[in-house]
Amino acid sequence: MDTSTVKIILQILHYLFFGYAFAAITSYIVLSILSGKETLKYLKKNSFVNYKDILSSTESPSITIIAPAYNESLNIVENVRSLLSNHYANYSVVIINDGSRDDSLEKLIESYDLEKIDYVVNEKLKTQPLRAGVFKSKNPAFEKLMVVDKENGGKADALNMGLNISKSKYVACIDVDCLLLEDALQKMIKPFLEVTDSKVIATGGVIRIANSCVIRGGKLIDVNLPKNLLVQSQILEYLRAFLLGRMAWSRLNGLLVISGAFGIFDKEIAIKVGGYDTNTVGEDMEIIVRMRRYMEEQGRKYKVSYIPDPLCWTEAPDTYKIFISQRNRWTRGTIETLKKHRKIGFNPKYGSFGLLSYPYWLIFERLAPIIEAVGIIYFTILVALKEVRWEFALTFLLLSYLFSVLFSIVAIYSEELTFHQYKKKGTGFKLVLLSALEPFVLHPFILYAAIRGNIDYYFNKKKKWGEMVRKGLSTVEA
Amino acid sequence: MDRKKIVLAEDNSTLSLLLKFRLEKEGHELFMAADGKEALALIEEQLPDLIITDIMMPFISGLEVISHVRNKLELNVPIIVFSSAGQEEMVLKAFDLGANDFMGKPFSPNELVIRVKRQLN
Amino acid sequence: MIDFQILIDNFNEYPYLIKLAWVVSAILGALIILLTVYLKFVRTILRKKEANSLEFRKEYEALLIEYLYSGTEEGGISEIQKNIIEELKKHVTVKSKRKVIISVLYKLMNEVSGEVTDALKVLYKNTGLMHYALIKINSKKWHVKAKGIGELTKFKIESVQEKIEQLLVHPVREVRKEAHLYFVNLFYFEGLNFLDIIKTPLSEWDQIQILEILQKSNDQEICDIKPWLQSKNETVVLFALKLAKVYNQYEVKDELMNMLSHNSKQVRIQVIEVLTHLYGIEAKDVLKANFTQLSLEEQISFFGLLEKLVIPDDEPFVEKHLFHKDFEIQLLALKILKSINIDKYLGLNKLPPSQKSLAMLKLENV
Repeated sequence: MDTSTVKIILQILHYLFFGYAFAAITSYIVLSILSGKETLKYLKKNSFVNYKDILSSTESPSITIIAPAYNESLNIVENVRSLLSNHYANYSVVIINDGSRDDSLEKLIESYDLEKIDYVVNEKLKTQPLRAGVFKSKNPAFEKLMVVDKENGGKADALNMGLNISKSKYVACIDVDCLLLEDALQKMIKPFLEVTDSKVIATGGVIRIANSCVIRGGKLIDVNLPKNLLVQSQILEYLRAFLLGRMAWSRLNGLLVISGAFGIFDKEIAIKVGGYDTNTVGEDMEIIVRMRRYMEEQGRKYKVSYIPDPLCWTEAPDTYKIFISQRNRWTRGTIETLKKHRKIGFNPKYGSFGLLSYPYWLIFERLAPIIEAVGIIYFTILVALKEVRWEFALTFLLLSYLFSVLFSIVAIYSEELTFHQYKKKGTGFKLVLLSALEPFVLHPFILYAAIRGNIDYYFNKKKKWGEMVRKGLSTVEA
Repeated sequence: MDRKKIVLAEDNSTLSLLLKFRLEKEGHELFMAADGKEALALIEEQLPDLIITDIMMPFISGLEVISHVRNKLELNVPIIVFSSAGQEEMVLKAFDLGANDFMGKPFSPNELVIRVKRQLN
Repeated sequence: MIDFQILIDNFNEYPYLIKLAWVVSAILGALIILLTVYLKFVRTILRKKEANSLEFRKEYEALLIEYLYSGTEEGGISEIQKNIIEELKKHVTVKSKRKVIISVLYKLMNEVSGEVTDALKVLYKNTGLMHYALIKINSKKWHVKAKGIGELTKFKIESVQEKIEQLLVHPVREVRKEAHLYFVNLFYFEGLNFLDIIKTPLSEWDQIQILEILQKSNDQEICDIKPWLQSKNETVVLFALKLAKVYNQYEVKDELMNMLSHNSKQVRIQVIEVLTHLYGIEAKDVLKANFTQLSLEEQISFFGLLEKLVIPDDEPFVEKHLFHKDFEIQLLALKILKSINIDKYLGLNKLPPSQKSLAMLKLENV
């Protein structure tokens, strides 16, 4: 190869990198604008809604909260109590004790006066069998509660058991250690009930970070910005993802993920598609993609909705080790889901789902870390060969840095002008400062975890799912 | 009429203020709780002559308050519950647990005064 | 010291792309600084607003309670009450204060009834709050309009009836819906006339809200629901079916029987459920005869009906479906058989496992 061919190849490579970055930035701008529009519409719509009638009406549709628990003994009693105090007339709570090896079950039996009942499980979805059985409370005050003790089978398997047990029209799948605000169910059920020209198959909620917040008696008393830089950065990341990203995708009806920590599903459809996939670490993304795919293939009009109110608060990892293992898992989940459903990608038969959502996810979520890593390696080689044109490199580095800071600031504004959760004086400045720091303290680790995820996925198939070591929410209790 | 102690658990501040004034006008001593947890603490501390509680309350519901009073504290103090329309089932459960009377929201404060009188006699 | 001229010269020598990038960077940088400063301002205002509204709330709560307790025995307006109204009149001109007053009033209206609400209504009218609601319903913005209607509904202002009647078929769903709720809240069953005219669907959410309002009212004298059962608007039919169930409308049983062959599956399923509730044993023969043609959901609903209304004569039919392909029906059939012929039910236990249905096997394991 002569030098001119090499030069041309290099040139093309440069343009590819440049084009990719440019497309990403453009998509961010478009998404911000869309989310702004959608947020405004949402706020207008909700400025006069009376939720009171719905919450007390016995005609409102039934919802089952399904909460899988694995070795959650530390906080299970408190967490269940918080789940039981939601303001909605027609709901029940099913705790799936997924083969826990601690004393979760004993604690629940003791605290809620549980007794074993006869229960025939309609096994519409195949799951691991029951272990100790199905329990209900003798005390009518806890009539909503049901505890199912089964053999261990993982989160997806536990959720499937919940789907089998539920007698409701809708199921709310949540992480047991999440704090649900008391109006969560009323707000989340609304999209299902108000749409008349298509079918809402699922509604996703926002996940907020509860670290350092004061929680007393299952209620969120005070919202604080945590001291830990990693957690702080994740707050900013979540604001961006939920207030800008998902809001915009919801406007396009292109949501591919409903956070596993809190989402409501139409049970009939969820069961029809076969429930949660027990062979993936990304079951929350996978089931939505499968439900969408099913609706598309049936030719039915459908929608995946999204409610931006801060209704679900959960604890984010506060050490880099746990954080990286969490993101590693997310990466593998995304890869598995996209791979399993690759038929959808770029397939006009699936409408905007196949031509927009899927490709976007593939190119800007799935491939982003790889392209970035390749870029860095490529740049290092250029440095070694002294081929870098520093004026270009530094200029564009600065430009992209400033853009990412600005994007975070837009997310902060979006939060301030809507839900305004971080009210304390001085927090605003801290958040802006974080926007400037985040590219250094969070992003490199996300990148690292994503690359590790790719490596684990392709070369280390047997890797056990990273188990998240959680600190109890109630340790925060003042 | 002698001065009776009443614990009132209700999470709507305006309503509870209104009822507080109304019942104090009748000569009673009122202890206010904004949720079930506060209510239980007040009940144990004050041993009131009457408990008025909303069913739907944050954290510890009215039902649990009744259950705790009857089963754990083993008190016979009369209990009146408030409920919103459409919670008939809840009301049945409340009676099941040992509530003495109930009032559906929205209700008239004057009616409450009459029912309070009846429970205290 | 840096020689700026050199910097500028350098800059001018760069390619256009870099120049452009620098210009954009400068703009972004300026935006970041500007937005940061402005954020401080926004947050301060928000904080202040919140503190104010908390303070106002306390103030108005106290004022309202005083107002309510200074009424005359005969129900007229006392001097003190007049003064409070005058005082509030000054406050309602400020939008933020008006908002707080309305929200305090709302909360109270939700929870109390009788003489207190009458007094609050007087206050609402006389302080001029109502005047602002009237401006709202004339607004061009749909959400303001809807909010205005909601307010007039809450305080049961009958005098705006004609105006709101025109909004019953408004193109924006939310406005329409608020108008519906206005009529139901004020006139209960008589307010349901709009069901005759609406061509737009009535969402599940709207239906639940309307039912809830009807059930809260003291007026339980239901009107004739037959025309709605025959409506061309499917959602109206579904709503009428809800009414039939909640208000035990035995008089429409014949209509319901006819509706077992309705075009819409959802309607048919709900009809079976309503008939179950109304002891519609007449439905049994019709459904038995067509059983194999029914959709699975209808079949399940029918077994639900049988579970409640079974008589020994149904035994052959139930027995026939002990091995239905659907687990839920198998289970229901077993349950029903148990209730009418316990000996036969127990006899099933003696079947060899290979001849048992899934439900039978499951029941054994319990």
